[in-house]
Amino acid sequence: MTTLWDTTGTAVVQALAAERRTGGAVTSGLALTLVVVLEEKDTADVEAAVATAASRHPMRVIMVMRHNIDAPVPRLDAEVSIGGRHGPGESVVLRMFGRLALHSESVTLPLLAPDAPVVAWWYSKTPEIIAQDPLGVFADRRVTNVIRDADPARSLQQRAVDYAPGDTDLTWTVITPWRAALAAAFDTASSPAKALVVYGNPVDPSAQLLAGWLSSRLGIYVPVEHAQGKYISSVSLEFQDGHSVQMTNEGYKLLMRRPGQMDTIQPFPRRTTGDMLAEELRRLDADQPYGEALGAVSGLTGLNDRVSNRTHIWHDPALASQEG
Amino acid sequence: MSTTEDQSQSTAISAGEGPSLPKGLRSNPLRDPGDRRLPRVPEPCALVVFGVTGDLARKKLLPAIYDLANRGLLPADFVLLGFARRDWEDGDFEDLAKTAAKEHARTDWNEEVWSRLSGDIKFVPGSFDDDAAFDELARTLDELRESHGIKGNAAFYLSIPPSLFPTVLKQMERTKMADNTASGGWRRVVVEKPFGHDLASAKTLNALVDDVFTADDVFRIDHYLGKETVQNLMALRFANQLFEPVWNANYVDSVQITMAEDVGIEGRAAFYDATGAARDVLQNHLLQLLALTAMEEPVEFTADAIRTEKLKVLRAITLPKDLGAFAVRGQYDQGWLAGERVVAYRAEKGVSPDSKTESYAAVRLGIDTRRWAGVPFYMRTGKRLPRRVTEIAVIFKKAPHLPFSHTDTEELGHNQLVVRVQPDEGVTLKFGSKVPGSMMEVRDVAMDFLYGEAFTESSPEAYERLILDVLLGDATLFPRNEEVEASWRVIDPLEEFWQGQNPQLYRAGEWGSKAADEMLARDGRQWRRP
Repeated sequence: MTTLWDTTGTAVVQALAAERRTGGAVTSGLALTLVVVLEEKDTADVEAAVATAASRHPMRVIMVMRHNIDAPVPRLDAEVSIGGRHGPGESVVLRMFGRLALHSESVTLPLLAPDAPVVAWWYSKTPEIIAQDPLGVFADRRVTNVIRDADPARSLQQRAVDYAPGDTDLTWTVITPWRAALAAAFDTASSPAKALVVYGNPVDPSAQLLAGWLSSRLGIYVPVEHAQGKYISSVSLEFQDGHSVQMTNEGYKLLMRRPGQMDTIQPFPRRTTGDMLAEELRRLDADQPYGEALGAVSGLTGLNDRVSNRTHIWHDPALASQEG
Repeated sequence: MSTTEDQSQSTAISAGEGPSLPKGLRSNPLRDPGDRRLPRVPEPCALVVFGVTGDLARKKLLPAIYDLANRGLLPADFVLLGFARRDWEDGDFEDLAKTAAKEHARTDWNEEVWSRLSGDIKFVPGSFDDDAAFDELARTLDELRESHGIKGNAAFYLSIPPSLFPTVLKQMERTKMADNTASGGWRRVVVEKPFGHDLASAKTLNALVDDVFTADDVFRIDHYLGKETVQNLMALRFANQLFEPVWNANYVDSVQITMAEDVGIEGRAAFYDATGAARDVLQNHLLQLLALTAMEEPVEFTADAIRTEKLKVLRAITLPKDLGAFAVRGQYDQGWLAGERVVAYRAEKGVSPDSKTESYAAVRLGIDTRRWAGVPFYMRTGKRLPRRVTEIAVIFKKAPHLPFSHTDTEELGHNQLVVRVQPDEGVTLKFGSKVPGSMMEVRDVAMDFLYGEAFTESSPEAYERLILDVLLGDATLFPRNEEVEASWRVIDPLEEFWQGQNPQLYRAGEWGSKAADEMLARDGRQWRRP
């Protein structure tokens, strides 16, 4: 590992090249560059997640932490390592201070792996408008994490307003097991669905997205009704031929109850943030079903018809606060 | 990544054709081809394993089933039904299954997953010639249809010696267990190699299995085809523009396919001594690898299209006229391997001291197609070789003209593209590069793609993938009966020629018989050291 204090972007690029040389085998197959935007306090969580994801996808990780924009002198600190605690890939940790934080892309651009897709992941806080963050403008895929915002439901609504194909949110990733179980339940159904209800926390983004997805696919309104727990506790399905299914999340197990049949229990995998990040990195194209589900949640239409590239919108928080 | 998509498409197609499938599957509104996150989970079904107490079942099958369950890829309504000649209750079998799964599973042990799975494990005791036991099995399957909601779907895994196939299949025919219509669902059968011991016996076996089940419901497992790198070979060839233009006799000098094992016969003396390396490995694994290497591009990535192309190649294989010079068989003598003394093949327990069975086989094959005419395919396999390795090496011709002086390029060999199937799964490209310095000197360097380094997550065990495919009804990775028969047509003349000959001895721990080296030297080539 190389640590650089008060350094420049050029020095970081050189340090990475040197690490690659001395690291023995030059890493052969970089599939993508992951740019993680986070706050200092979340370092440990992000490191664990990145290490898990990096073991499934060969990638270069650039972790960007932007500190006190109002610091008088801009400064860059960096850590470069290969095969360290951030998993088997290459990793660069960048700490930016002062006005440099507004020009973070000037440091990250030369560090992106040549001609490989770029994924941006905001872990700690989701930007209101992604186009205002230059790191998001250069990314082919953008992963947000509204659950960590102060008002996740409002943040999710804002994601729909600001949506461009290629965006996804981890509150969507987290419901993949639910969606898989529901799709499997429909595999054996012999008639169309009549009514579905998602039980859980009505303001939980995941519960909303699940209901939104079901509505968008089935063409019927699927409500989220209040139940104990802060996530999704159960889903009830009723089919036109009178069959019904009740699926309940019982702490990492999914209990499926059908009248006239034995109850079945399926494992509901215990997934870490790293597992979910790895799922996000599997595909680097736009996730249409997410766009549709998000549209159903927000009431906005034509989300998937929007253009997928963004143009940077200059935004200076210092000026914004003066004006505001 | 695209394979999952293609796979789901192909299953969707086959699902549409099956008249017995539940209607819902055809138009599940929650299944969107654009939704790549959802795994495809088989329909409710039972997996019936005959010979469930055997080695293969314990080491591969049961762990693979646990791994599938752990990854959430088994349907909610699933039953594992064991059948063997033991005086057992469900619980005894469950214990065996648990021990086996725990010991050999690839994924982490999760007690919850197991406790869920264990409720769905049943055992039916009985011997294969016992009518009552099979009636009991059929009855159990009928009961499970209601109690476990498996809808009459069942796959039968024959993990038993081929000599017992007729007995078991006749029983299944008698009890109508193999009948799709009678069961109201699908019934499939999984057969392990060896698929016969020559063309005649393979035909008899195929006729028997295809008679009881319909040909489309027969899945022949060649676990090599379940390996990630073998599937990657198709991605490499058909997803890229770079390799296919040079993948022919104009550019390729020769192809070497090697499967080497460092182990001996490992207590399989009775089976191995009657079989030999050619029947055990060459007939199935190596010829399948050859087919995938040499086949034309399938019109689409579906089971039928791929199998059609493979079959064409297998039928175009030619044997050398002079078998004495280009077909070599060897047998290991005592020697040293990895620092340990090992005994000769003939001194292995259970092997007769004058056994003529080969533990090594090497042969030069040709493929009579426009693409490959004149390109020799050198195949070799053996036991007690220096290391365990399986690879496909495509060796390109030398550049027709070199502007450098002869001394400059003395160390330049043939360009090679090597697909490493195991271990260190990946691809190596070998080409010439200038040696730094003021002189023009060119030597071989290797560019490496390491599957395991790039994707360090352990890829699914071959059996995991294959069992899942059986339950999904996706036959892409399973050889068809015609392929098996075409392969025997290659092996039979070899066996006939070798009949009665003594194999050449090679020292354990060496790269096979000297005669195999001479065979390539005769063509002005040499074996790659894998």
